[in-house]
Amino acid sequence: MISTGNDIVALKAINVARTKQQNFYSKIITETEKALYDEQFSDRLAFEQFIWLAWSVKESVFKYLQRVNPELVFSPSKIKLTELELPAAEGVSHFEGRDFNKGAVYESVIDYTPHTFYSRTIITDDFIFSVVNHTNSFEKVMWGIKEIDSTDADDQSKAVRTFALAMLNTFFPESELEIDKNRHSCPIILKDDAEIPVPISLAHHDRWVAYSFALA
Amino acid sequence: MTREETLNELKKVIAPYTINKEMLAGINDQTDLIRDLKINSANLVDIIIDAEAKYDIEIDYDSADKMTNVGSCLDVITEKINQK
Repeated sequence: MISTGNDIVALKAINVARTKQQNFYSKIITETEKALYDEQFSDRLAFEQFIWLAWSVKESVFKYLQRVNPELVFSPSKIKLTELELPAAEGVSHFEGRDFNKGAVYESVIDYTPHTFYSRTIITDDFIFSVVNHTNSFEKVMWGIKEIDSTDADDQSKAVRTFALAMLNTFFPESELEIDKNRHSCPIILKDDAEIPVPISLAHHDRWVAYSFALA
Repeated sequence: MTREETLNELKKVIAPYTINKEMLAGINDQTDLIRDLKINSANLVDIIIDAEAKYDIEIDYDSADKMTNVGSCLDVITEKINQK
């Protein structure tokens, strides 16, 4: 199963006080995930960051699987973070590239029975960005994050396509590529009007857009 | 509360999370929250929490998962109101 899923949460656009309310976060994480946070991470990671990290990872898993199963329903409570590893070093040096520097990003293991997923997450003051994969290797995953000057949904949609295509064109220099959506609203890459087997995932929130795609 | 009254209240719940006010005015059962109203998925939990407060109901995990379009939102809200 080759697919990709990513998500971005703009931290300036979330309501921190509401995120900390039990009736809010309990719609996103289970009691077991809350216990994981309380026991291992409460002294090193703000609770609202944990909640939105969990959300972005779960949404990424949903996007990954929805490409394969278009009828899938997003059920945050059934997609469970079972392990989380915090970065050893502070910060990342770039917002676009291939793979992730070991020790510079958050890593998690996710159980969505019968599937197991692995994630990489970057947290800055501005956003939380996650990508998931079905193996614990991201060597074939390209990703990018960019700030744009509009929060309009149509502008975000255009901007993220232009951003992703710039990177895609470096891999397919002789081709006229386009990004469209299939009948299930899943983004696809077209070359001469035919879909190519490179799964792509797009995300946007507030002024931030992001993509991931998986090379064969 | 009739389905139409519930719909009118639901429009008020959704309003802060969509800039597509024209489409909001004409929503029907098939209107998709993300695809049609361009609501960011990060706001879906806000809508569920606001609906809980507006109708004085509790929406469990499984019911919340179903709330992807206006029709399913109305079905869940009506079911929870009737269970009170």
